[in-house]
Amino acid sequence: MQADLGFWVLQGLNALQLSMLLFLLSVGLTVIFGLMHFVNLAHGSLYALGAYAAATAGAAIGFWGGLLVAPFAVAALGVVLYLVFIRRMRRAGPMAQVLVTFGLIFVMLDLTRIVWGAQALSAPVPALLDGRLTILGVEYPAYRLFVIALGLAIWGVLALVLGRTQIGAMIRAGVDNDSMAACMGIDVEKMFFLVFCVGCALAGLAGAVAAPLLSVTPDMGLQILIPTLIVIVIGGLGSLKGAIAGSLIYGVVQTFGAVLFPQFASILIYGLLAAVLILRPAGLFPAKG
Amino acid sequence: MLETRNLSKSFGAIHVTRNVSLKLERGERRVILGPNGAGKTTLFNQLVGEITPDEGQVFLAGEDVTALSVQARARRGLSRSYQKNTLFDGLTVEENLGLAASVTHGHWHNIRYDSLTRRDVQDTVREVAEQVRLMPYLHARVSDVSYGVRRQLEVGVALATRPLVLLMDEPTSGVGPEMAKGFHDLLNDLPRDLTLLIIEHDMDLAFAVADSITVLNYGEVVFDGSPEEARGSSLLKDIYLGAWEDA
Amino acid sequence: MFRHTSLRFWALGLIAAAAVLRALTAEYFGVEMVAEIAILAILVIALDMVAGFGGMVSLCHGALMGAGAYAYAMLTVKVGLAPSAAFAGAIAITGAASWLIGAVCGRSHGIYFIMATLAFGQMGYSLVFEQPVFGGDDGVSGVPRIDLSLIGLDLNDPRTFAFACLFVLGLVYWFATHVLQAGLGRTLTGIMHNEQRMRALGVNVWRIKADMFGLSGMIAAAAGALAAQHVMFVSPGLLNWTVSGEALVVVILGGLGTIIGPVIGAIAFVMLKHEVSAHTDYWHLVVGLILIAVVMSRANGIFGWLEQRLSRARPSSARDVIAHQVRKDLAAQGALEDA
Repeated sequence: MQADLGFWVLQGLNALQLSMLLFLLSVGLTVIFGLMHFVNLAHGSLYALGAYAAATAGAAIGFWGGLLVAPFAVAALGVVLYLVFIRRMRRAGPMAQVLVTFGLIFVMLDLTRIVWGAQALSAPVPALLDGRLTILGVEYPAYRLFVIALGLAIWGVLALVLGRTQIGAMIRAGVDNDSMAACMGIDVEKMFFLVFCVGCALAGLAGAVAAPLLSVTPDMGLQILIPTLIVIVIGGLGSLKGAIAGSLIYGVVQTFGAVLFPQFASILIYGLLAAVLILRPAGLFPAKG
Repeated sequence: MLETRNLSKSFGAIHVTRNVSLKLERGERRVILGPNGAGKTTLFNQLVGEITPDEGQVFLAGEDVTALSVQARARRGLSRSYQKNTLFDGLTVEENLGLAASVTHGHWHNIRYDSLTRRDVQDTVREVAEQVRLMPYLHARVSDVSYGVRRQLEVGVALATRPLVLLMDEPTSGVGPEMAKGFHDLLNDLPRDLTLLIIEHDMDLAFAVADSITVLNYGEVVFDGSPEEARGSSLLKDIYLGAWEDA
Repeated sequence: MFRHTSLRFWALGLIAAAAVLRALTAEYFGVEMVAEIAILAILVIALDMVAGFGGMVSLCHGALMGAGAYAYAMLTVKVGLAPSAAFAGAIAITGAASWLIGAVCGRSHGIYFIMATLAFGQMGYSLVFEQPVFGGDDGVSGVPRIDLSLIGLDLNDPRTFAFACLFVLGLVYWFATHVLQAGLGRTLTGIMHNEQRMRALGVNVWRIKADMFGLSGMIAAAAGALAAQHVMFVSPGLLNWTVSGEALVVVILGGLGTIIGPVIGAIAFVMLKHEVSAHTDYWHLVVGLILIAVVMSRANGIFGWLEQRLSRARPSSARDVIAHQVRKDLAAQGALEDA
């Protein structure tokens, strides 16, 4: 019985850790969509860039420095992308914007290869989090617990900011109805910009956090993009609730699927996606309606 | 021909449709009046199946169609036009009518021949274009013709399915009095066996084409009778004209 | 609505003449390039059928082509079917899978559709990669070409094979334009312009979308089966997302919703690819920049730009329609009130 419990705790933590990583990525993507009505397909590339920035900066100034630098570096790139491409494409409509960001995937894939080379970089786990902790009789790496805690903390902060503050109310108004929000005197364009930067920074943070867990490669952004898209299709575009629900569902199905039904692990999640698309085409918790 | 029994629908605490029972005979022309927000369009959406009612049934030609999809009802002869133009904007007027007619004649789902150039489709397109006075515009693209022409096409596309029952949601919405008068003639020239249910704001049009009048207020039927009775009804004046003047 | 304008006829004739001339006179590499272009052209015609006329911007067409290639390879190498039967089988199997994907994804629109198809494409990729039957990373080798010795042709000869590819391309072009000008294509175009109204007219929308997606998948499978014969081996890389992405880039580069445009796009793309690859490893950088440049230029690709310059009656650009459609879908979902 104890062994059974240990199994569930261990896999539960694994699922939670994957969920939190996906949450950090999907929340930025989904809120940007809610406000600006386009999906930034290059979001995964920003995540990869965050991982590279963290690994590079981490080698010079240590893990914590890297963790701090990565979100800012990626947000800075977000500013450039916004000014050069996205703002100009606002009037061309969402589809054109999606295609431009799709082009950016190709561009950034090769740019990372040019700058950092094709071979994998590795980022060490910081000394402080190198050990293992015992939870409910299960030994679990401290770093992974840190990832879970960070994800939960960010979720809490975002829920608080979106739910309780004035800027949060403005963002929710913008998601609800941007032209109405503009009429009420909210500078919608400035808000878009702000949210876009925060979304990019979160992607960078996710990359920095993931760097010690996975190997840092140019195509890591693409590998995470598909799960992230599945998360937001399942959760529903535009809502915080959808992002967290989708992340948890994906994390649980993927993790437990891989240990309980190893033959069908990847099929299981796509089957779930198909089921959601058939039964709830707009996802479980769409922003509105 | 078209009948509803105790149709009810609420969104949260708001009852948009309350126990609406209507019965339209074949060839009857009924106008639904009511102030803004009386639930007229919501009623239409339930009739055609775009919204599922909470309670009650819809019958088309004696058949219970409450559980059927939009397209299944359409294929059984229920057609509608929209208050806000819902057209194929990038296509020509002829193609708009042709798409509708190709569904009627069963050519919409084949990979052998062009549905739009079929003789029967072309005949229907021409007939309908004459009925709704669109002959001069057949080859113009919808995005290039005036708003009034688009309103005519809106009715034309619905007519091109050769329906048993045609629901029209404010056909004269947004057009001037001159054009509205043209619409009266247009509606009066439609075949007499076609059953019409029209949402209308324009009292003149209502009295010009209606055999019977139904008034909705807060989702409820508050009046059901002939145009003559409607004219004399003080209830109608209070509810409808009062709200009309306020608006 | 798809129509054969005289400009399109001229373009078609010119391309056909140039292709035949090239296949007759070129050296080995030139002939190989003709085959490569023809195979890519088949794939992008398949994609344009659904993206340019149904607003279904699919990011799984590379995977569908890969599925066709694998089906052909498995049926010939592992099952031992005759190549011509395997060719038909590959088309049937992939068509069925494609129909299912269309039926499932057809309920979602615009951006949702892109994401859903991308996910299904990756599903195919991981399926082929993970299941040992498919040979994993190594793929399947020793894929035979169809035996046409009965009519005196040897497809193992590069020039003959290039002509065979051109022949299939011609067939596919005819089939695609025929379907688009038939009831199914007309109705699909109507759905792209206004899905709600089509439904109100009595059209079973998902069925139309699924059927066209199935036909498109069959064409993509033909491209895949030819590709498998061309290099005589298949690997999971065929199903990679980059193939789907490149196909979309080619369609947009050539001109969405014109059918002949994507063929021109395929010619430009393959020629450019060979030119760039000679100088640098970073071909994807160029692909990305091309896509961004074309999208930001606002012209509907090479052929769309040409049509706009040369013909007076401007056919409605499928790209505008899709952009408009996406906005409307969003509005319907309440995410966007007015665009």
